[in-house]
Amino acid sequence: MDRGRLALSLIALAAALALPFVAGPFWTGLATQMYIFGLLALSVDLLLGHAGLFSLTHASFFAVSAYTVAILQVRYAVPTTLAAPAGILAGTLLAAVFGISVRTRGVYFILITIALGYVVWGVAHRWSSFTGGDNGVTNVPFPAIGGVGITSHTQYYYLVLAVILLCALGYRVLIRSPFGLGLRGIKASETRMQSLGYRTSAHLYAAFVLSGALASLAGVLYVYYNRFVNPVASSFPISVEAALMAIVGGSGTIIGPFLGAGVVLGLRNWVSSFFEMHHAIMGAVFIATVLWAPDGLVGIAARLRARFSRPKEPGP
Amino acid sequence: MLTSAILQAINGVSLAALLFLLASGFTLSFGLMRVVNMAHGAYYLLGGYIGLSVAQKTGSFALAIVAGGAAIAVLGYFIDHFLIRRTGENHLAQVLLTVGVAFVLGDVALAIWGGDNLMVPAPKFLKGSVVLPGDVYYPMYRLVMIFFGVFVGVVLWLLYKKTQIGAVVRAGVDDREQVNATGINVDLLFVMVSALASFLAGMAGVVGGAFLTLYPGAEWEILVYALVVVIVGGLGSLGGAMIGALVVGLLDAYGRWLLPEFSYFVLFGPIALLMLFRPRGLFGKEH
Repeated sequence: MDRGRLALSLIALAAALALPFVAGPFWTGLATQMYIFGLLALSVDLLLGHAGLFSLTHASFFAVSAYTVAILQVRYAVPTTLAAPAGILAGTLLAAVFGISVRTRGVYFILITIALGYVVWGVAHRWSSFTGGDNGVTNVPFPAIGGVGITSHTQYYYLVLAVILLCALGYRVLIRSPFGLGLRGIKASETRMQSLGYRTSAHLYAAFVLSGALASLAGVLYVYYNRFVNPVASSFPISVEAALMAIVGGSGTIIGPFLGAGVVLGLRNWVSSFFEMHHAIMGAVFIATVLWAPDGLVGIAARLRARFSRPKEPGP
Repeated sequence: MLTSAILQAINGVSLAALLFLLASGFTLSFGLMRVVNMAHGAYYLLGGYIGLSVAQKTGSFALAIVAGGAAIAVLGYFIDHFLIRRTGENHLAQVLLTVGVAFVLGDVALAIWGGDNLMVPAPKFLKGSVVLPGDVYYPMYRLVMIFFGVFVGVVLWLLYKKTQIGAVVRAGVDDREQVNATGINVDLLFVMVSALASFLAGMAGVVGGAFLTLYPGAEWEILVYALVVVIVGGLGSLGGAMIGALVVGLLDAYGRWLLPEFSYFVLFGPIALLMLFRPRGLFGKEH
């Protein structure tokens, strides 16, 4: 890491730590959401940016984990120390089942993951005796370990910040490991990796389950922030927005999905304060991203830096 | 019990007829143009709403079908030409772009037609029910829907297999560059197939709106069914769309009847089986 980037990271960290003191609860809440959805986007991007698989079912793991935590905590008064791991486990198990979709590639993978995501939404929506139907599960308490518990949104902000920093560090190790290199190898040329002796399907399956586990963790953070969960958490827009966040920020990077989450959530909050049709605005963001910024903010920044740091070349 | 089972079978087949209308366009435009258009559900909903307004103004159901289809054919052409064309063959970009288009269209429809469940008025002679053998009453409309689906299926099949245009389209599905090299205007062909696909989706909206009703969110529900149809049948295959529609229609009808809380879950079965044994669907080819 060069000195400029280190300085930038430290400034960002200081800003994140100081945020609850300088900004009001609105901004702290928005930043918490940005971290949570950024983590979800990061999990989607493990497949999208590194393995080249475009999954549209990640809201499923997110929601199953959130529902598990909510139901355990609210109906059975299970403590956080058990409920949170149970949530991650449930989401990861579902990812282990849905992971068979890595038998397909390209368009089929996209379509199948959309359909799988709808199966989960359908169950959350229709199985009302267990999931609470459209009302969902409400009154989820703040997390508590032993006698010590979170009591305010500001405290929860710091907890989420700590979790995502740990995740970002772990993610960095993962994508720089031989495993991560293998994924990018598969993205570049799967047949070549196969001829080198890699079991590419097993590799992708492992990435899928890992990515599902990360999405499940985001689901746990989400349900303790939101204090309730309903079928919206499992819906297709959540999956596709997570992918959009990764792309808007910059796919294949770590900071990108979080930046993208900030842009998308911030824009939606701002627009919905004066314009009712915020779905249409989101749609416009999708279209604009695809047409004009396919490499996202990180890509734009890299392009700008390349333009300014390189001495001007003589024109053709 | 047996009567219910038979009724559910008819329900399933009539849903299959509707799904076929939608999925055939989706699968054809993928087969020829390699375009994954996630706005197909929104085309369905918008076509249905336009048909509804036309039916309310003129009182003619036939006119509603034509208007819904034609309006969407024109809209689909513009979206294809100005937006989708610019993504090349990047499926990821196509999916994101067309999801965005669907969000915009859905919100515009919500602003115009509101959030209530609306029903396209069916013509008088299709209202009421018929008595089937065994004293079973069944809504006339859904029964006619089956014949309509079969009729469109036969027309499409004849167009695809027996006419020169169909031959050119089939050739285009197999090898587009070669067709272009023989001097056939592939661009014109694309416009026609894309218009046909959009027309079918818009028409399906009117026809489906008369028994499934139209409401915000319907675009995604119907799209997912259509996606499962093409996953089962195989992308790009018209015959696959027919078989897939029957499988999904019947599974859905029996699922709703026997496992009402898990009716979406029964869709998971065929998808999982296909992933294990035929990842490209029953009739899908390498893409």
